[in-house]
Amino acid sequence: MMLARVADSLYWIGRYVERAEHMCRLSDVMLNATLDRSEAANLVARIAMAAVGDPEMAKAKTPYEAALALALDRSDDLSIYSSIAHARENARQVRDQITTETWERLNLIYLRMNDPDATRSFEDGSQQFLHDTIADLHLFKGAGDATMSHGEGWSFLLLGVYLERAQLIGSLLEVVFGESRRRKPVTDHFALTSVLRMGCALEPYLRVYTAEMQPRFILQFLTLDEDFPRSIRFCTHQIETHLAAIIRHSGMAGSVGPDRLAGRLRARLQYGDMDELEAQGASPFLKTVLDECSAIHRSLYDAFVAYPLEERLPA
Amino acid sequence: MSVKRDEPTVDVGRPARPYDEMTSSDERVRKHYAALDARLATLSPDELAERQKTQERFFLLQGITFTVYGAESSTERIIPTDILPRIIPAPEWARIEAGLIQRLRALNMFLADIYSEQQILMDGVVPRELVLQAPSYRREMQNLYVPHKAYANVCGSDLIRQPSGEFAVLEDNLRVPSGVSYMLANREASKRVFPGTFRGAGVLSIDRYPDLLLTTLKSMAADWRPNPQVAVLTPGVYNSAYYEHAYLARLMGVPLVEGRDLVVHENMVYMRTTTGLRRIDVIYRRVDDDFIDPLTFRRDSSLGAAGLFNAYRAGNVVICNAPGTGVADDKAVYAYVPEIIRYYLNEDAILPNIETFLCREPAQLSHVLANLDKFVVKAVGASGGYGMLVGPHSTKAQQDEFAAALKADPANYIAQPTIQLSTAPCLIDSAVEPRHVDLRPFILSGDKITVTPGALTRVALKKGSLVVNSSQGGGSKDTWVLSDTKGKSR
Repeated sequence: MMLARVADSLYWIGRYVERAEHMCRLSDVMLNATLDRSEAANLVARIAMAAVGDPEMAKAKTPYEAALALALDRSDDLSIYSSIAHARENARQVRDQITTETWERLNLIYLRMNDPDATRSFEDGSQQFLHDTIADLHLFKGAGDATMSHGEGWSFLLLGVYLERAQLIGSLLEVVFGESRRRKPVTDHFALTSVLRMGCALEPYLRVYTAEMQPRFILQFLTLDEDFPRSIRFCTHQIETHLAAIIRHSGMAGSVGPDRLAGRLRARLQYGDMDELEAQGASPFLKTVLDECSAIHRSLYDAFVAYPLEERLPA
Repeated sequence: MSVKRDEPTVDVGRPARPYDEMTSSDERVRKHYAALDARLATLSPDELAERQKTQERFFLLQGITFTVYGAESSTERIIPTDILPRIIPAPEWARIEAGLIQRLRALNMFLADIYSEQQILMDGVVPRELVLQAPSYRREMQNLYVPHKAYANVCGSDLIRQPSGEFAVLEDNLRVPSGVSYMLANREASKRVFPGTFRGAGVLSIDRYPDLLLTTLKSMAADWRPNPQVAVLTPGVYNSAYYEHAYLARLMGVPLVEGRDLVVHENMVYMRTTTGLRRIDVIYRRVDDDFIDPLTFRRDSSLGAAGLFNAYRAGNVVICNAPGTGVADDKAVYAYVPEIIRYYLNEDAILPNIETFLCREPAQLSHVLANLDKFVVKAVGASGGYGMLVGPHSTKAQQDEFAAALKADPANYIAQPTIQLSTAPCLIDSAVEPRHVDLRPFILSGDKITVTPGALTRVALKKGSLVVNSSQGGGSKDTWVLSDTKGKSR
């Protein structure tokens, strides 16, 4: 049993920390790539900016300025600062539901980003700053995993993480591989390596496909790999698992919608293959994935958070 | 039995030298402070400052903060905390404990009486209009059944130590007293800062407070629900005491709800959960009377739940503390508490009051007006250190302003002689210096009354200041209550 408002907050903590982590990584890869002045570096910067999808950021003159704004701009709701602040604000509202160990990790990140000296530390070593933030976000998730009960609340939190991750990876892949963008296919070795870095996938990819950078393999790995935690398939499996756990806790089996949607999406990824995907086109395929993620989000709200009261009044 | 209050006797002329918690008047360290004093002698100013910093860091990391809202942005600050514990020996605590239990028993009986038969008013012990015209008196509570007649389930009384060394009650807080999370957090911190001294001192444990609070709250519904569902009602994350609300809910293991989580249906209170509506039996509300139910009290409130009070009236939910308890901690009613204790318990008050002049009485008013520079004058309805005049620290203009206000509405004011609060050693800029302190212990009342052996010691951090309120530059520190079997089992 858990307050609907609390479930909502835990879910959004999950979404916001995942978003913050992803944005840190996009920024980090972009800054690293643009240390070189090459055509490939420009391509990586364009991919990163498009994947962030923040119109504010597009106004920046240099990749560094863009990264600084993405990290610390308080007025921009899509910035890493805002994501961390939202996650922490939600955590504060459910402070009784998360363990002290977990709270401390998140609060620490927030205090550092909120520090008056934050801009200076970013300027002193932007990649160190981003790297530390990512590492601390991992500590946050680890502390939660190690100390929180893996019950209903935990499932709501992870549902937020994996829905957000599926959507973020989906958007990144659409930027790189989508036919609808009417752009030259990305074939440059450096750019492809950078794309894998943006998905935190380089090392796991190398172990499966070796250093051969094939766009097809990269799309396959980030979409259909069974074991890699940032592949869309892996995410959809987690979404289905945590939804099933929530439904089991609620004793509402058979009467809710989101599990049906999640099961269908998982099956789509589990039984899909590259030939089919390529025949259909990457863009339509990714669009379906993103649409179905949004549908699961809405359905989750209808079932557990913003349900109509009339249906639930005691007889 | 009625009080004769028209002959002021107190000599307000000479402020006595304050009592110091650590050092006696012949400059010797009191026995119960010896171990701490010895430990302090081994620490350099830098080491002390380092420990102070560690403690502040601990509070910040835990999120034990309040938010200061500015025009552009908001900042979070910790309430200043001092690392040096205030120490109370066993015999002194025994007296405080007995006094607090006696006082709350009498005040609960007083509330039960004025919300039913009003015998005490008919006997003329407390003036009728004083009670019935108090803004905190709630007509809606008349003849309403309250289990165990426990109206004030959580009470935080403010005690001060007078120059004589005797503790006295300055104020009873029976509405929604706060600060208990600071008591517990200060303890966590001081165990880290002085582990050795702590271990050797035989300090009584306060860890059971959340457990006792839950037991107290459950006892309020025990006669009609075998295992009642308890919830803490908070105004929300923007309330300055939000940390405490979440902290207590977490340590009791009960949901922390806001008004928007509650639904009242057919006089039952429910909370919206992921699996539908769940009934709530006991609400430990940290929302003021005025805001708990827009249908009964303030219409513009969104912090409570519409229909909550009717559910309470119907006996389907218990609200703790009961609405209307504020009338017993009204500053004018306060003056009558010793008589209230005598009336209901036939006992003398163990903890004395501070002498209080009611400006509603013409003779007392003229005495106060003639000595405005020596009195502390307080508005009856105000709290938090606001709306008051501290005579010896005031300007002529402030005194004139208060004199006019007193004449215009005398019933709204009381006056007390300026009391030199006791001082305790505090760490100020790496040096140990005395600062004025008070003492807020927490008393729980359900099927029985329990006092947790500890307290929030509030500190006036400004040199010479007597105002300990956190809104006015006050801080807090841990309070060690020693067991009488020193160092043995806790």
